[in-house]
Amino acid sequence: MILRKWLTVLLMITFMLCMSMGALSAADGAWDGNGPYVDEIIMPIITDSEARYLALLRGEIDIYPDVNRPSDIRSFAADPRIDLTMTPGLHMFYMGFNLQREPLDDPVLRRAMAHLVDRESLVFSVFDGYVFPLAEAVPESSPFYHRTAHVAEYDPQLAERLLNEAGYVRGEDGIRVDPRTSKPLRTLTLITPTYEESPTSAEVAVRLAQTFQNAGIPVAVVSLEFNTMVERLLRKDPVTGERDFDLFVSGWGLARYPLHLYTLFHSSFDVNGGNNVTGLRDAAYDAAAEKLWRPRTLEQAYEAAAEAQEIWAALQPYIPIYSLTYIDAFRSDRVTGYVEHVGYGAASNPLASPWTALNIRRVDQPEGRGGSIRWLLFDDPGTLNILASYTAFEDQVLGLIYDSLITANPETNEDYPWLATSWVIDTWTTESGEEGSVITYQLAEGVTWHDGVPFTAYDVKFTMDYLKEKKPPNLQAVWQDYSHSIVHDDLTVSVYYNTVSYWHTYATGGFLAEHIWSDVDDYESFQPWREPHPEVEGLTKLIGHGPFVFKEWVPGEYIRLVRNESYWRSQG
Amino acid sequence: MRTYFLRRLFVLLGSLFVIVTVNFVLFRLMPGSPVDTVISPDFTPEMKALLMERYGLNEPYYIQYGLYLKNLISLNFGRSFQTRLPVWDELLSRLPNTLLLLGSSFLIMVVTGVALGIFVASRRGSRWDTVLTGSAVFFGAMPGFFIALLLLLVFGYYIDVFPVHGTMSAPPPTGFWPRVYDRLLHLVLPVASIVVSGVGSWMMYTRNHLVTTLAADFIRTAQAKGLSKRRVLYGHALRSSLPPLVTLFFLSLPNIITGAVVIESIFSIQGIGRYLLQATLRQDYPAIEGAFFFIAVAVLLCNLLADFVYRLVDPRIEVR
Repeated sequence: MILRKWLTVLLMITFMLCMSMGALSAADGAWDGNGPYVDEIIMPIITDSEARYLALLRGEIDIYPDVNRPSDIRSFAADPRIDLTMTPGLHMFYMGFNLQREPLDDPVLRRAMAHLVDRESLVFSVFDGYVFPLAEAVPESSPFYHRTAHVAEYDPQLAERLLNEAGYVRGEDGIRVDPRTSKPLRTLTLITPTYEESPTSAEVAVRLAQTFQNAGIPVAVVSLEFNTMVERLLRKDPVTGERDFDLFVSGWGLARYPLHLYTLFHSSFDVNGGNNVTGLRDAAYDAAAEKLWRPRTLEQAYEAAAEAQEIWAALQPYIPIYSLTYIDAFRSDRVTGYVEHVGYGAASNPLASPWTALNIRRVDQPEGRGGSIRWLLFDDPGTLNILASYTAFEDQVLGLIYDSLITANPETNEDYPWLATSWVIDTWTTESGEEGSVITYQLAEGVTWHDGVPFTAYDVKFTMDYLKEKKPPNLQAVWQDYSHSIVHDDLTVSVYYNTVSYWHTYATGGFLAEHIWSDVDDYESFQPWREPHPEVEGLTKLIGHGPFVFKEWVPGEYIRLVRNESYWRSQG
Repeated sequence: MRTYFLRRLFVLLGSLFVIVTVNFVLFRLMPGSPVDTVISPDFTPEMKALLMERYGLNEPYYIQYGLYLKNLISLNFGRSFQTRLPVWDELLSRLPNTLLLLGSSFLIMVVTGVALGIFVASRRGSRWDTVLTGSAVFFGAMPGFFIALLLLLVFGYYIDVFPVHGTMSAPPPTGFWPRVYDRLLHLVLPVASIVVSGVGSWMMYTRNHLVTTLAADFIRTAQAKGLSKRRVLYGHALRSSLPPLVTLFFLSLPNIITGAVVIESIFSIQGIGRYLLQATLRQDYPAIEGAFFFIAVAVLLCNLLADFVYRLVDPRIEVR
């Protein structure tokens, strides 16, 4: 078994090296962020996976973000014109337990089941090794990853021992006996999305059920249409307060900060419609999660995250199984300079990672400047209104148009000053006498909106005040604890929050240009890309301060962006 | 005639009322809610409640229903939950693509199918009949998406001659005629996919009707009168087979508006079929309700039209 494990690890390392070699050589490890280097980005909208595959081979696109079909990955990997980058993602696929139902309320049973899961085998047999095995609540791509003492690795002998010692002995028919009832364990139902909707999830569920079955724990797989499954997991019976499932498989896309340890497992979210669907209620865990939710400093956040992960591993509300990788494909005969960002990929999440957009260039351009590149978009964005955006496609476009106050180092995921060159975190006393955070940002000089109007501290204040007034649901984390802002000068602003939390540092935004948005009363119906700019010809009201300027969107066909000639970081 | 027309109109409105009511109930019976499709670990119950309020889904069903009927009467379907655009505008913006794709496919399919049907019916039992009938059954039995993918692979990759997505190049060429050419080039594969999978049915339908008609007594009488084969075929047999063909034509017409969900998705065409699919998957109630209302009206109107035209092409039909 040990030999097999070593072999799989070796295979994965070899595979990752092969996959990343091209990208590293193309990018030369550089991510100076002094671009953008290309004149234009055209984003063809292609909804069908076969057409997308053909489009990259035909050279109709240069960048194919988030390639997820193993057959496509194999084909692209074999094509000398194409480079693939494989970056660990901030993601978790897992099997969850209903902790409020017998016999799954027994942590020993959950732990033993976790030891039965051979993640490496699943990763290779179901995904051809294109995902990473995951055994913890936070993936290794996160800076908050903590190797816990209680991690349940694959160890069937240990599982057998744990079960036997706890009284879950096998009966004559091979099914284990529940020590609390002295009867054979009831058949547990494992809910999964259907094969049609999510073939890999369904396949993993079937294999897990088989594994548990072989170990004497009867499990039956029930496939449900995705919305039905979500409904089943989220809803609590109004009379009994119970959720109607035993086990389920699902996945979450995660953030750089492990706040999911709070929102998915704190007992306050064990409510009807809440995301704590496992029903985890543990006072010690709640205390650690609360510290993580409201840390005063980054150090406190790290400590709280580690503590929460330790308790979480012992409680085992989920069995983590794998973490997705972002596999991005590039036509290396045409473009170079793409940057892999741990947790976000090289081209999959421009909103969280600006590096590839800033660094990419055409190989056929003198000095690597100029030219046009084609960056695939899977579907039409909804609105291109940053306040009403709910889809990843929208974020892909908006990420090229807007900059954030703080970004992340692509190698370490640590904070990287951006529109805010520095910030100081302090506290203040709110009107109600509570303690709150106040963060003072120093903004970069020379930043302008796409229409040439300077970006100032007044825009930050306006953004926060506007959000507080309009309360867009998708940005609740930004406005819910916001109190007010004080502008000290054009480039210095203090933002006051009613609660103390280090995370407020990242909540602050300065993405609404006051001179455009101050006239917008109904933000939901505002279609900034459809309205011409009041003063500058050729622009619309969709203006940001990012490296690319919005030019054109033909719904269903393509989006066209051009280089921001006065981009504040651009050198030359 | 007036009474008949009014009666039909009354039935049409009654049917429409039933359809829009079922439309309202059906999608609310679907598991989950529009906000459940926003999957994020940070999406708290409070945020979901806020979103439900914004969408007007926190109101009791009878109030939602009343508002829905009021909106339908004024052709105001509200704004899509997903895009925040007025549903009516979205439907209208997608209509030209769908009309162009399915209108041209339908026209080619009907003309070719009927022509081939006449051709093989007049050569019943010949090698042509065997080959064409066999082909019709073969392609008719193939799923439409498979034909589309096959064409995509062959003509989009191995013989790299046609575009594989969208309705225009990105960006399109400048000048009127280059744009028209570009548009036509983009239409070839999707139109071919629809025509290949559907032309067989039209051919078989025409052939079978004609073959039955050609064996009728009045055809034998016409032949005995010494009329030419061509005259018998076109002047007597085809004319007699025309009413069911015309009915089929009008009953198939709504398909031009409802869109080809699969083909529009495969070829990334911004049409009504794709809109309907996305709206259903995202439980975008205003979009679904608007799209289905649109389709229901189209189907009912075409049925009505079929009734009237049937009467025109077949004088034996009388209104009572």
